[in-house]
Amino acid sequence: MARKTSKRTSGKAAGKSALDKTKNKAAHRRVQRNEKLPALGRMMSWVDKPGNAGKIFWALAVVCGMLFVADFLYEKHGHFDVEHFPGFYGIYGFVMFTIIILAAKTLRIFVLRPEDYYGNKAVDREEYPADQLGKVTHDGT
Amino acid sequence: MMALDLIPTAFVFFAAAPILLLLPHGKARATWLLVLPALAGWQVWSLAPGAAGQVQFFGFTLELMRVDKLSRVFGLIFCLAAFIGNLYAWHVRDTVQQIAALLYAGAAIGAVFAGDLLTLFFYWEGTAIASVFLVWARRTEGAYYTGMRYLTIQIGSGVALLVGAVLFYRETGTIAFDRMTLGSPGTWLIFLSFGVKCAFPLLHNWVQDTYPAATITGTVILQSFTTKLAIYALARGFAGTEILIYIGAVMTLFPIFFAEIENDLRRVLAYSTNNQLGFMVVGIGVGTDMALNGAVSHAVAHVLFKGLLFMTVGAAMFRTGTSKASELGGLYRTMPLTTVLCLVGAAAISAFPLFSGFVTKSLIIDQTAAQHYPIIWAALVFASAGVLSHSGIKIPFFTFFAHDSGKRPKEAPAHMLLAMGLAAFLSIFIGVYPDPLYALLPYAVDFVPYTTSHVVGQLQLLCFALLAFGVLMRNGIHPPEIRGIDLDFDWTYRRFLPDVIAVVAMQTSRLWARWEQFGIGTISRMISGLYRSTGPEGRFAQTWPTGVMVLWIAILLGVTLILNFASHG
Repeated sequence: MARKTSKRTSGKAAGKSALDKTKNKAAHRRVQRNEKLPALGRMMSWVDKPGNAGKIFWALAVVCGMLFVADFLYEKHGHFDVEHFPGFYGIYGFVMFTIIILAAKTLRIFVLRPEDYYGNKAVDREEYPADQLGKVTHDGT
Repeated sequence: MMALDLIPTAFVFFAAAPILLLLPHGKARATWLLVLPALAGWQVWSLAPGAAGQVQFFGFTLELMRVDKLSRVFGLIFCLAAFIGNLYAWHVRDTVQQIAALLYAGAAIGAVFAGDLLTLFFYWEGTAIASVFLVWARRTEGAYYTGMRYLTIQIGSGVALLVGAVLFYRETGTIAFDRMTLGSPGTWLIFLSFGVKCAFPLLHNWVQDTYPAATITGTVILQSFTTKLAIYALARGFAGTEILIYIGAVMTLFPIFFAEIENDLRRVLAYSTNNQLGFMVVGIGVGTDMALNGAVSHAVAHVLFKGLLFMTVGAAMFRTGTSKASELGGLYRTMPLTTVLCLVGAAAISAFPLFSGFVTKSLIIDQTAAQHYPIIWAALVFASAGVLSHSGIKIPFFTFFAHDSGKRPKEAPAHMLLAMGLAAFLSIFIGVYPDPLYALLPYAVDFVPYTTSHVVGQLQLLCFALLAFGVLMRNGIHPPEIRGIDLDFDWTYRRFLPDVIAVVAMQTSRLWARWEQFGIGTISRMISGLYRSTGPEGRFAQTWPTGVMVLWIAILLGVTLILNFASHG
């Protein structure tokens, strides 16, 4: 549950005013009506409804809070003392994840190159051969 | 069926290749490609432990079928991987790929059952030669060059193995493939050979280079065998070799950062493979029964969940023509089943409780703690957060969610869904009920994965990391997906060395040209000098020929006179 929810934190458009919200919702419904999506796809499109990304984020925050509190309710077993510190894994996960993202972002400054950097000797600038694909859209166009 | 027991499993695959050619194109061949791994899997399942298939070869006894718990579990997962891969490739009508898949699986299984280094070498090279056709089958210029690079590196690994085996034979008088101790040049060469195939740091680039270049179905098959064969070989030959702990830890760490910024999602998964192999290498390095169990079980789980992830990204690519994160997004709307299957793979590789990664990876991490490697332990927990970032979040999020790319591809074909479904089912089954997998492992398992401490700890790690992702996304700090490639160590041999060689070649040819000019000038000056003195206008020519003749006779007579005088005097 917690994992599916997290996927959705990108929609920053948690409406600013009530008017915006109604507008967005109406637009979302319009898109839905025009697109005949598979049933499961339609259900999952709940995550793209305005404001729901925020709901998912806060739900995840609550789950994290509960997991932190849970640490006080059972006897911890671990090989190292640091593991007995309440919320150790949570704090470690949060901090390390942030470090990874920031470090990777910095790394990109140095290593990013255009797709044709290695010229014709790499596949990066090529299109995948069309005859090996099954490129079909969901409504058959 | 009695006869089947007598045939080495690899030969079953090799014999199947010519039969495939006799079958008509289409469903008959595709069915044969499913029946065969199933048949081979059944054979491996029913094999009795022990050595069989001994062959005399130039005075050596080759052992083609060494069956014990370690080789058996790898044999089984390879048969299963071949089955799933071929099911996923049901639509492919390319004979080259079909034959390559058969021979590749056969060679990998042959290598796993090889009881001696010579047999291992033959199959080791066999995997390289068969698998390169899965890259070339893309039939583009880039794929051709990538295949050549791949082949060079893989064949190089084989040569190192052969030379190592020869030196090892001279040292010990045996070619048996058993546990070795690092020290002599022979063992180091064998270790290096395994390291290339296992993608040790700085030897790793062939993975990122090749996997995104192979065909969609080829990558799924490629990812199953070569690196897992290397894990098997290390577990067999170098269990408990301490240096592996540190090599493995580095392997878990550095790919995280590259995977995070890489745009091609199949290359992200290739980096992720490095990272996962690192966990296994650490397990082999720790070398206790339980750590080896961890390495082996994680290899099995990895074949399934990484295969699943490659298959889901491949399905998106099959329908849209690209695997680049910057071009994808929002596909869940029309590919919801693939999306759900991808989420299962993501949960399994991230080691969420009730998924396979949880019950296999924790065996390794627990052993690093139990054997008192605190820094390695911290590195592996850190790497676990890293796995979540690129394979757990990035792959499903940027393919199926994130910004809407506007692409509305059809759901993956039924056979792909079936193949993915099978891998997903097994990834959950192993996570929920690990006992059958544990029973296949080389040693008795004395480990309980589901304790409150462990479950809550792992959930905390993952959920808080997800929360961090949410915070970074909401604040726009998370790096966006942009088109481009990222330089890695392969820059040295793909760009730097060729450039150096080009400069050296240019300077050398320039120097040579100058030298040539100088040489020709000297010679022509000499000739014209001679011409001046002896040519028609030259001084010698003025007295030529009688004058010169008289001069020379006078000189010769003089010399004769002196010699004569000297000899009689």
